[in-house]
Amino acid sequence: MNDAALMSSAMTVVKILVIIGLVIYSFFAVIVVRQEQLMSHVLEESSETVLRILVKIHLLLSVALILLAFIIL
Amino acid sequence: MEDQNPVKPQSMSPLSAFAERPGGVRFETQESKESVELFLRQHPIVNLGWLTTAAILLAVPYFALPILLRMLNITQYVPMGYIIVASAFWYLATFGFILTNFIHWFFNIYIVTNERIVDIDFYYLLYKHFSEADLSKIQDISYTSSGILPTMLDFGNVYIQTAAETPVLEFDKIPHPERVVQTIRMIRERGGAT
Repeated sequence: MNDAALMSSAMTVVKILVIIGLVIYSFFAVIVVRQEQLMSHVLEESSETVLRILVKIHLLLSVALILLAFIIL
Repeated sequence: MEDQNPVKPQSMSPLSAFAERPGGVRFETQESKESVELFLRQHPIVNLGWLTTAAILLAVPYFALPILLRMLNITQYVPMGYIIVASAFWYLATFGFILTNFIHWFFNIYIVTNERIVDIDFYYLLYKHFSEADLSKIQDISYTSSGILPTMLDFGNVYIQTAAETPVLEFDKIPHPERVVQTIRMIRERGGAT
């Protein structure tokens, strides 16, 4: 195996590891959404809508980052 | 029972840490005749630690990344795509850090109703601790406010000893602890516990 092929294999492994890391982070983002839902159930307050939107934006961004990694890595 | 409390229900600021008879607030196990007399969170100053950390985390790539790129010549070894993904992830993780800390503060609440005292704590992700005590079961109530910052900003801890399942309810770092103690005593004296 020449150097170029070795480098290419190494980069593929790194890419897979990065994407696995991002997928794990998106699971965390899902948990944050679920946590916010649970808490909203306990406390009903008008200002929770903003928080609900923010946690969903966080989840969407984490999924978008996985897609970005797929495309540019 | 006739309502003798002169404080009318008032709309509460979204980030309020102290509200008397707040309007538009309900909690999970609230009964139909039960009214919220006090709504409390920890004093907003407790957020200063994680807000400072978040500010540092946000500023680090702005200052450190150009220096790293210039000094270590990273672009020679690491493709640009990885630098972009790493930078984006850094900001996303910082956003997540801010969100989780804010949620932790926002949903850790103490409620005094005309019937009982409720302490709702959220520790870490997906762990909820709900404790309550009837006003009639309160045995002793005290508060502490020690240190420069708590004295200046008027916040401290309120300890409520009860004969209920939870022997001591602690309201941690809440604003105006003296007023909280007075209000709870007042509610008890006017026979809020039914």
